[in-house]
Amino acid sequence: MNKKRMWIIRGCTLLAVLAIAAVMLVVGRGHTVYIDNKALEYNGQTFEAMYRSEVWVGGERLSKLAKKERTMSTVIGQGFEMNLINTANKGDDPSEVSVKLSLPYGWDGIVVNLPGYLAGLPQEAWMTEFIPAPEPASEEDEEPETFEDEIPMGDI
Amino acid sequence: MSSVNQKGGSRSVGKTVRSFLAGNSVPIMFILICAVCIPISGFSPDYLLNEIITRLGRNAFLILSLLIPIMAGMGLNFGMTLGAMAGEIALIFVSDWQIWGIPGVILAMIVSVPFSVVLGWFCGKIMNMAKGREMITSYIISFFINGVYQLIVLYMMGSVIPIAHSSIKLPRGYGIRNTVGLLNMRQCIDNLLAIRIGGVKIPALTLLIIALMCLLIVWFRRTKLGQDMRAVGQDMQVARDAGIQVERTRIISIIISTVLAGFGMILYLQNIGNLSTYSAHSQVGMFCIAALLVGGASVDRASIGNVFLGVILFHLMFIVAPQAGAKITGDSMIGEYFRVFVSYGVITMALIMYEMKKRRQKASIGEQLALAQKEGLQHE
Repeated sequence: MNKKRMWIIRGCTLLAVLAIAAVMLVVGRGHTVYIDNKALEYNGQTFEAMYRSEVWVGGERLSKLAKKERTMSTVIGQGFEMNLINTANKGDDPSEVSVKLSLPYGWDGIVVNLPGYLAGLPQEAWMTEFIPAPEPASEEDEEPETFEDEIPMGDI
Repeated sequence: MSSVNQKGGSRSVGKTVRSFLAGNSVPIMFILICAVCIPISGFSPDYLLNEIITRLGRNAFLILSLLIPIMAGMGLNFGMTLGAMAGEIALIFVSDWQIWGIPGVILAMIVSVPFSVVLGWFCGKIMNMAKGREMITSYIISFFINGVYQLIVLYMMGSVIPIAHSSIKLPRGYGIRNTVGLLNMRQCIDNLLAIRIGGVKIPALTLLIIALMCLLIVWFRRTKLGQDMRAVGQDMQVARDAGIQVERTRIISIIISTVLAGFGMILYLQNIGNLSTYSAHSQVGMFCIAALLVGGASVDRASIGNVFLGVILFHLMFIVAPQAGAKITGDSMIGEYFRVFVSYGVITMALIMYEMKKRRQKASIGEQLALAQKEGLQHE
């Protein structure tokens, strides 16, 4: 009976640890969000970039985007919030927009096109995956130092 | 009469002072070295305090992992490198899965556990086959497992073990780069709840984790398993006669040490902010053991106090020695060499002192036995 109870406790502990790991996998997923103020063509229609767009994330101004400019932010988790202060054309009054996005779990880098989003287009039009260009091979990375007999003191 | 008492009192004070100096010769030597080097180096107290607190948060957990095998009479666990490797493998996976911040650290700790348990069990099994030679055995095991680690990380990751991100993979398509960036979890634990007092940053959460670890060790010593380990550490035969499963207890102590070393390595690397894939673990055991010995521990006796005193003194010497060396000789490399040979020297000294103490004990037991035999013969 005691042994049975012990195994139950061990099993429950293991399950609890696995549950914590699963939660960490979800809540800790990091993304890099690239925010573009670039013209977007969708279904033959062109959505023009804004004259200026101020991007605020977490109460701090991230960037003031002019036409054809991009900024980026990192986020942990699948929810991303930002505030935009947009000026559509030179001389226009700025308007403030709050944006809440749900980010796909599997994408590391996500490009958000602001003109497309503000025009109310479907998500696949304004949200795309950012795929970095492959890096050229460097000699240093081709042959890693596998074993050092000397003492690397720098990090200590 | 009073002069006799005075003489006797001063003799006993002298004996106490002498035994204190003999018992704490290593920390006293380091205090003297630091006392000489600090003014020469010219570092400000703020800078030194900042550095010491940072290094305390970075290294203390790793060094605490050494206490349990010492308690079980297995000496200084050079096999803690195995735990460090488990922690590194977990960090490589977590980096590949792009889990950032504190969740990344927690996940890495969870992922490191099975690797640490398997490696600790393997190490414990072999150490049971080499009783009395645990330290050299664990030292050589760490070299062996380092080879296996390099085989896995250099050839199997990316080819057999799926690694998705090209940022951590070598350009050839398999194997892990020399350096894996941990920027997205860099100092995430140190910065959370950090307090600034007069320009000195105190990583409160890290220190809290270390304090909890200390409490856990104190509590563990009082548990049945902790008592068993102490009994095994004192005398294996007596412990066996008392019904303690000696081999099992020793394996458990090494497993606990390896798991804690894995956690410690993850805390260490989150502070550094990058992982030197092929060399980060190689000297960790050596430096942690040197720091513990500098704190006044020996092969068969170590306390939590030794850990903290050791980190402070050893790392104080690490910080000030190169600068002091540069000021005295005009060459900073002298200071670098100095701290290298001190690290190895202190371990050598501790091993020699331990061996001398053991021989002295053996000789005194022999003498007592001979005396008892002589007395027995005289009575007859």
